[in-house]
Amino acid sequence: MAEMLHRRLPNGINVFIHPTKKFKTILVQLFFHRQLRREDVTQSALLPAVLQRGSAKYPSRRQLVLRLEELYGAELTADIVKKGERQLVVYTLDLVHDQYLPGENRILQEGLEILHELLTNPVLENGVFREEYVRQEKEQHEKVIKGLINDKIAYAIERCLQEMCREEPFSVFKYGTLEQLREIDATSLFGFYRRFMQESPAELHLSGDLEPEQTFALVQEIFRFDRGTEASVPPTQVHIPVKDVRYVTEELDVNQGKLVLGFRTGLTYADADYFALLLYNGILGGFPHSKLFQNVREKASLAYYAYSRLEKHKGLLLISSGIEFKNYEKTLAIIRKQIADMAAGNFSREDFDNTYNGLRNQFLVEEDNPAALINRTVDGILAGRVWTTTELLQKMQSVTRDDVVRVAEQVKLDTVYFMTRRGGA
Amino acid sequence: MTRVIEYEHLKEKIYTRRIEPGLDAFVLPKKGFNKKYAIFATNFGSIDSHFIVEGEGKELLVPDGVAHFLEHKLFEEESGNVFDRFAVLGASSNAFTNFTNTAYLFSTTDNFSECLEILLDFVQEPYFTTESVEKEKGIIEQEIRMYEDNPQWRNFFNLLDALYQYHPVKIDIAGTVESIRQIDKDVLYKCYRTFYHPSNMTVFVVGDVDAEHVLDQVEANLAKRNYQPLGEIKRLFPEEPEEIARDYVEQSLVVSQPILNLGFKEHDVGYDGKALFKREIVTSLMLDMVFGSSSPLYNELYEEGLIDDEFEAGYVAEVGYGHTIVGGETSDPEKLAGRLVEGIQRRQREGIDAGTFEHYRRKMTGEFLKSFNSLEYIANSFPAYHFRKINFFDYLQVLQEVTVEDVNRRLVEHLDLKRMARSVIVPKTWKQ
Repeated sequence: MAEMLHRRLPNGINVFIHPTKKFKTILVQLFFHRQLRREDVTQSALLPAVLQRGSAKYPSRRQLVLRLEELYGAELTADIVKKGERQLVVYTLDLVHDQYLPGENRILQEGLEILHELLTNPVLENGVFREEYVRQEKEQHEKVIKGLINDKIAYAIERCLQEMCREEPFSVFKYGTLEQLREIDATSLFGFYRRFMQESPAELHLSGDLEPEQTFALVQEIFRFDRGTEASVPPTQVHIPVKDVRYVTEELDVNQGKLVLGFRTGLTYADADYFALLLYNGILGGFPHSKLFQNVREKASLAYYAYSRLEKHKGLLLISSGIEFKNYEKTLAIIRKQIADMAAGNFSREDFDNTYNGLRNQFLVEEDNPAALINRTVDGILAGRVWTTTELLQKMQSVTRDDVVRVAEQVKLDTVYFMTRRGGA
Repeated sequence: MTRVIEYEHLKEKIYTRRIEPGLDAFVLPKKGFNKKYAIFATNFGSIDSHFIVEGEGKELLVPDGVAHFLEHKLFEEESGNVFDRFAVLGASSNAFTNFTNTAYLFSTTDNFSECLEILLDFVQEPYFTTESVEKEKGIIEQEIRMYEDNPQWRNFFNLLDALYQYHPVKIDIAGTVESIRQIDKDVLYKCYRTFYHPSNMTVFVVGDVDAEHVLDQVEANLAKRNYQPLGEIKRLFPEEPEEIARDYVEQSLVVSQPILNLGFKEHDVGYDGKALFKREIVTSLMLDMVFGSSSPLYNELYEEGLIDDEFEAGYVAEVGYGHTIVGGETSDPEKLAGRLVEGIQRRQREGIDAGTFEHYRRKMTGEFLKSFNSLEYIANSFPAYHFRKINFFDYLQVLQEVTVEDVNRRLVEHLDLKRMARSVIVPKTWKQ
């Protein structure tokens, strides 16, 4: 694969171009970085929705969508992502490459122009956002915040994290709060928008069959707007001592119990030992051959899913499983046994090798997915170093069994959350 | 004999071979990709619950959820679990069951031939024991419970139950906690014998592979098994009336706001091949024009706060059944249903003009091209189309043949209020 190009625009936006010939599309992603904090998380989460209601050139949502559709079904979406104690506002533009469209050669340029227009030229009324758009999007956003409960698996995980990190910024919900939402109006949000564009560190990624120099020139030509001094985003709090395990039970009128365990590892993507932790997590619960799947599901028939995963910027490990209410104690005991086995080094050579091979496969296939590669680059930027696939594989290869046992000692259970039926089991 | 089909516009080539005793295998080489993906699928899904058992000539009605249960148990071998064998090779394996087929698959970057051999072997070598069947019941029971708490999934099946009077598509793919308790190894073997014959199956491989080599490997694997030709599979379906079963169904769950699904039942079924593919494409185009995110109706409803940006409409075109489902979360399902009906009627009166039609055709061309980024999407879609005698790669060609008249005809004929049902999830009070 050709080299990635990284260069900074005069207005401070970092541009990353990832040339590849594998795809029929060009993926464009623009990231704005924000400190995750209660004061303005709701504004940042609401802002993209208001901007997508229209611009001076395409003054309604419908006109904007029609314009995008003309570019062979181009899609422009905005997402809110949490990485550690950092909130990312991400715009994604997915375009078909001209070479599959006879007679077309300006799809990328037109797509970028629409993105630029949407960000810099909103529909204004009395010098601020149009009141009607803000009101309607506040109503929609209220539903987004309240809608967390609709997905019980995601809700249980979010609740566990909230309880566990209740005194840290990490507990802030990425979509914000209803209380804050009520305070927002067209004027205050417009003021926030100006600050947001001025101060948020930003990165623009482009992946596809692109000639880097030409593409950079095109981006430079379009993204010319002025920005101010960038606000620095403080580092995520990682080293939080664990005292006693906290048990939280919540009663809901549901058919299945949801068990979530939150652990602190003290290790992030920036640490040398992160790769040992990656192996640890893989052996414990990252795959069907892992301890959790084998022992909770295959041997004890207690669950359909039982897995663990890492939050690589906050240094957390989560275990999640859906079980019969009455099996809470039994499942918890089996999970604890797996954790103890990890710490005691009770895993086989085969467990270790299978996990290594599985992770290797995951790193390699990321190269087949433009969004995954961009995400990896962003993770690298946050950790202070962007690694290539070859480097990542080398790092993983140097991990020994002793390294895994050593990091196992750092994995500390903090919170056990259980969603149970009303009235208990 | 390998056939090579070239799709100039897509810049893709497919290699295909008919392998004794009647399996069609396909390879789509993708240069430069690390991932290699193979899928081995059978034309047997949850709706195939009543049939004549191969070799016995006897009619059998199986408990609900058997196809899905069989999928789980095929991973079991005398020596252990197939997952482990893939894991040693660094591959990840999986499977899924839907209404009409069951598919087994793996994804890997290395050791492709070894992985393909394991896939071909385990799917062709069932090993069911009473003990392992019993053990699986607890696992599948929790899978069913998980879906019982999933509001979209419940709303979807509630709607199918309202649309259909007898057709087994109205029954949950995994069955119920009660129905799966009746499953034993004998019924699994009977299903296996009837539906897991190569002539009822297909193999699709995508990735940076040598197509001839892959097809030779599949052929060699099948050749050693002494298959006898399979006669016609006799699937028995109840006579399904044109009329829907009920026009309204409701369930309360722990959700933040109601969810509405409107369903329209297909009344003229039994097609496959190009006729069915064209119908699917015409209907999808039509739905996008009426309900899609750039339609006037969508934008009115959005501005009124009756829908959110997850609102969507989709069509399912199977040989034996078909339906459209439109819906999403809403503050007022009653009002939304009324507004959707008004919007449909207005659109039926006004019709769709040629300019609008071309706009959406261009959009769908782009969307199809974009879908080629995902090897999984291609591989998972292809067999389901193949079993309906459709070549998925003909999409752009069929799309070009569609006319604005086709779409206007479909708009009136398919969105028929006489065959419309509503399903609603209402919120339970849940705050403590």
